[in-house]
Amino acid sequence: MRAAVEQRARAYRAPLNTPRTRLLRRFPTHWLFLLPMLLLVVVFFFVPVILNLILAFTDMTLSLRWEFVGLKNYVKFLQDPLIPQIAKNTLVYVSATLSINVIFGLFLALLTTYFVKRENVGLAFRSLWLLPRMTPPVVYALLWIWMTDPTEYGLLNMMLQAFGLPPLSWRTEYPMATIILVNGMVGASFGMIIFSAAIKSIPVDYIRAAKVDGASDLGVVRWVILPLLKWPLMFVTTWQTLSLLASYEYILLVTQGGPNHRSEVWSLYAYYKAFASGQYGYGAAIAMVLVAVAVIIALLMLRIFGFRRLMELMR
Amino acid sequence: MRASSSNSTPNPNPTPVGAAAVEAPPRRRKRKREYAHLTRFARTKARLYAALPYVLLAIVSLPIVVMYSWLLMNSFSKKTLFGFIPQELTLNNWRFLWEPLRIGTSVHPSIWTVTGNTLLFAGGVTVLIVLISTLAGFALSRFDFRGRQSIMQLTILLHAFPGVTLMIAIFFVLLYLMKFTGLPFLNSLWGVVLVKAALEIPWSAWIIKGFFDAIPWEVEWSAYVDGCNRFQAWYKVILPQIRPGIAAIAIFSFLAGWGEFIFLYTFIFSEAFYTLSLYLNSIIGEFQVVEYGVVAAVALFYMIPVIVFFIFTQKGLMQVTVGGLKGGR
Amino acid sequence: MASIRLEHLTKRFGNVVAVDDLNLEIADGEFVALLGPSGCGKTTTLLMIAGIYEPTEGKIYFDDVCVNDVAPKDRYVGLVFQSYALYPHMSVFDNIAFPLRLNKTPRAEIERRVREVAKLAQIENLLDRRPAQLSGGQQQRVALCRALVKEPEVLLLDEPLSNLDARLRIETRAEIKRLQKELGITTILVTHDQIEALSMADRVAVMHQGVLQQYTTPEELYNRPANLFVASFIGDPPMNLFEVRYRRGGELELPGGRALRLPEPLARRLEARRLEEGATLTLGLRPEDVELSETETPEGFPAEVYLAETLGGDLLVHFRLGDGGDGPRLRALTDPERRVTMGQRLWLVPDPNKLHLFGPDGRSLLAEAEEEAPVPHPQRA
Ligand SMILES: Nc1ncnc2c1ncn2[C@@H]1O[C@H](COP(=O)(O)OP(=O)(O)OP(=O)(O)O)[C@@H](O)[C@H]1O
Ligand SMILES: [Mg+2]
Repeated sequence: MRAAVEQRARAYRAPLNTPRTRLLRRFPTHWLFLLPMLLLVVVFFFVPVILNLILAFTDMTLSLRWEFVGLKNYVKFLQDPLIPQIAKNTLVYVSATLSINVIFGLFLALLTTYFVKRENVGLAFRSLWLLPRMTPPVVYALLWIWMTDPTEYGLLNMMLQAFGLPPLSWRTEYPMATIILVNGMVGASFGMIIFSAAIKSIPVDYIRAAKVDGASDLGVVRWVILPLLKWPLMFVTTWQTLSLLASYEYILLVTQGGPNHRSEVWSLYAYYKAFASGQYGYGAAIAMVLVAVAVIIALLMLRIFGFRRLMELMR
Repeated sequence: MRASSSNSTPNPNPTPVGAAAVEAPPRRRKRKREYAHLTRFARTKARLYAALPYVLLAIVSLPIVVMYSWLLMNSFSKKTLFGFIPQELTLNNWRFLWEPLRIGTSVHPSIWTVTGNTLLFAGGVTVLIVLISTLAGFALSRFDFRGRQSIMQLTILLHAFPGVTLMIAIFFVLLYLMKFTGLPFLNSLWGVVLVKAALEIPWSAWIIKGFFDAIPWEVEWSAYVDGCNRFQAWYKVILPQIRPGIAAIAIFSFLAGWGEFIFLYTFIFSEAFYTLSLYLNSIIGEFQVVEYGVVAAVALFYMIPVIVFFIFTQKGLMQVTVGGLKGGR
Repeated sequence: MASIRLEHLTKRFGNVVAVDDLNLEIADGEFVALLGPSGCGKTTTLLMIAGIYEPTEGKIYFDDVCVNDVAPKDRYVGLVFQSYALYPHMSVFDNIAFPLRLNKTPRAEIERRVREVAKLAQIENLLDRRPAQLSGGQQQRVALCRALVKEPEVLLLDEPLSNLDARLRIETRAEIKRLQKELGITTILVTHDQIEALSMADRVAVMHQGVLQQYTTPEELYNRPANLFVASFIGDPPMNLFEVRYRRGGELELPGGRALRLPEPLARRLEARRLEEGATLTLGLRPEDVELSETETPEGFPAEVYLAETLGGDLLVHFRLGDGGDGPRLRALTDPERRVTMGQRLWLVPDPNKLHLFGPDGRSLLAEAEEEAPVPHPQRA
């Protein structure tokens, strides 16, 4: 059938095979189609990466003069008294949020796809958890600003009040915990979606067989589902590491990195250096670390997972 | 309860299943398991156990429900109990719809200008993304050429790559584009539209490619056999089949553009080009604590397209979101 | 070992009735086959017995204890899936050992029992492999071992042979049957292959659209089908069925007007049923119960050959009944030596003792009045 259609189609197209159409056909139409994308990608990914590399060797400030200063920015960076704290913040922030994203995401996926037997209930809860992700960041940040409000108008303080306790300034008392939760609530849905899809694709007979073989629900999770989630787990972990290293939008909106740099992470520090203090060159040098790490992790992902598996995981 | 199973002694000389074993004596086991004790409380236990996941889910999801209901309730009331139980209903918080907001001496631009800007921005991002990624997805799916594999790998890597790390360099790219062309790339919506589209395109091209891949070649060929020319085949046979894909990336691009904050915040300097995200951000800063009502109303107004899409595209959302979740969001 | 009893078992998925008021008793150590066409509710029944599906209505008894609320893991059943459901991330050994590990059997004993059951199924040399590295037949044995290793009270097999090639299927059929007899485990085999059911099981339950049609021994099923569905479903090539008219005095009028004289006991039995003169009945005649004659005989019916197929050891001849070859179609098995040509006129002589007759409601008229159980659930356990 296929062969027949193919042949007929070819025969049908045969008259088109004139010198003029041949020339037309040799014209690389596909590159024409790809051109707009490649143009944008070059201008806004490749050029910036190189530009960032160059900027890091300059003393670029608000005056916008190109002055090459060699490794001065990196020397400054090594002597910067804030860097150890920023590095520590980044480490804590990334690892804690990552744990929430992976573990809680897995928890949500298991509950909504495996333990909850009613499919539409599971779907409803999954949608609910997608809501923070769909919400514009400024609105989502507002919700947290209200929740952690230092006066008696904030949700957490209202709860304290109900127990007769004085209001607490949550954002200044616990800035790290705040930004971790803010990002965790959004990030968990990434793992949730990936894991849910993976759990749903496990043949139901495996689960039935395990149950008949004597596994409880937790046993099924431990012995059948988790081993089969190996790749999605690794994927979510690396992907989210990359995302979290670079993310500062919510932090900027909720705590502004404060108080006193206590919730300032690497990417936000670079941003502030460039756009708040106008030290573009120095900011680029700090960002360079992130760009390098991001490139390495991205390439590493391609290595670990391989192109095919990555494609499957991203479906 | 199954301890007995370990004491069982199966026949020490298990008979092979060969032909010689036809007359083997049956290896009946002596032990017999009791079912009676298993049924005690089984029903109650099973019911309790089945309810547990629902309870757990409800508890962990409670904060989300509370947060969003606060937004709704607070925008319509003067006072609230525990933050989200409305006490006195009012529309006063929504006054920004018919008059510019005034805080102290500063007057904010009209909400409608701002909304117009936001629509322009989100619409621009959507059109650009849909056009460019459909072209690219088609090329990647339907043409076989050298470098195709590399471009696909690149697309995946760029999708994973966090574009925000390049913020500083992108600023300079826009700066120099402006210098060389004389066109306003900085402090203009169009410049940021380009940036935003560029960052989203690897993903959407990828999704569209998947939709093209799903159309069997035979279908296209039969269209030719049935008398279509290339354009008709494209228009009548292929396009209808990728329409869901286009709809999906259009919705996602629009919402991404609608919610965009950080690039606009960094590259837009004048209030004339404020979008809703910048507008809301500035009034959050100025109202500070007291007037959450107004802020909540603006936020809810800002949320309208999100809510609409959220409700109407529920099922489809779940199917395509996987790849659409990007970055630290 | 356990005996099983199903009472009014019903399962509905939305408004699809997968299993409808099923009553079945299975004795301790018995081998029962659930036979029926695709989608008739066999798997659903099996999964209810295993405890995976909760019945919509009705009860399941193991050893006279209602186990409706007992979790699958506590039912001591072994289940072999059609897809085998071998865990891809475990080796063959780990797959088989899985049920034992779950009930915390000591290491040494796991080792011993896995090897023992692997030996029984002749897969000892495969224990280190992954399921993906096995052939279909080997996977099937591993699945069987995994079900047997925990020494279940009840063994449930869901179309265990359907993924094997024809040759292997015959071998495995014999092996499973021997294992079952040897171990004496109560076994339920689900299949849509009648040869499998008839050759392996002690009793066969035929299902159709969720309803039990007949539950009896293979011989009975073949020789005395309780209704038209069973009659047409069992037997290959299928039974000839055509409409006839009842005539008082023990005669049936065949299409074309010729009369078939019924043997004396049969005629009396029909007489006892007080059928109306001229009532339309269905006559069933197995292809192997028809003799072919070249010459006209008083008991024979004329028919015209329109196709002959050689089926290995037999010749299957298709006829059209009637003088002009315009009556209903009919098949007969004969020996392949015989020469038949298309269009040839032959006389068909049915074996009068092997006739099947069904009333207008589709039920068999041959059952004795007193054993005339309600057709949907003939409980003769
Ligand atoms: N989970 C389910 N949801 C809805 N309908 C179902 C479900 N499982 C089975 N059914 C329906 O119930 C009927 C019986 O299904 P069942 O799987 O028991 O058939 P079967 O006899 O095992 O068929 P087969 O020989 O094809 O395996 C079918 O009509 C099927 O469509
Ligand atoms: Mg089945």
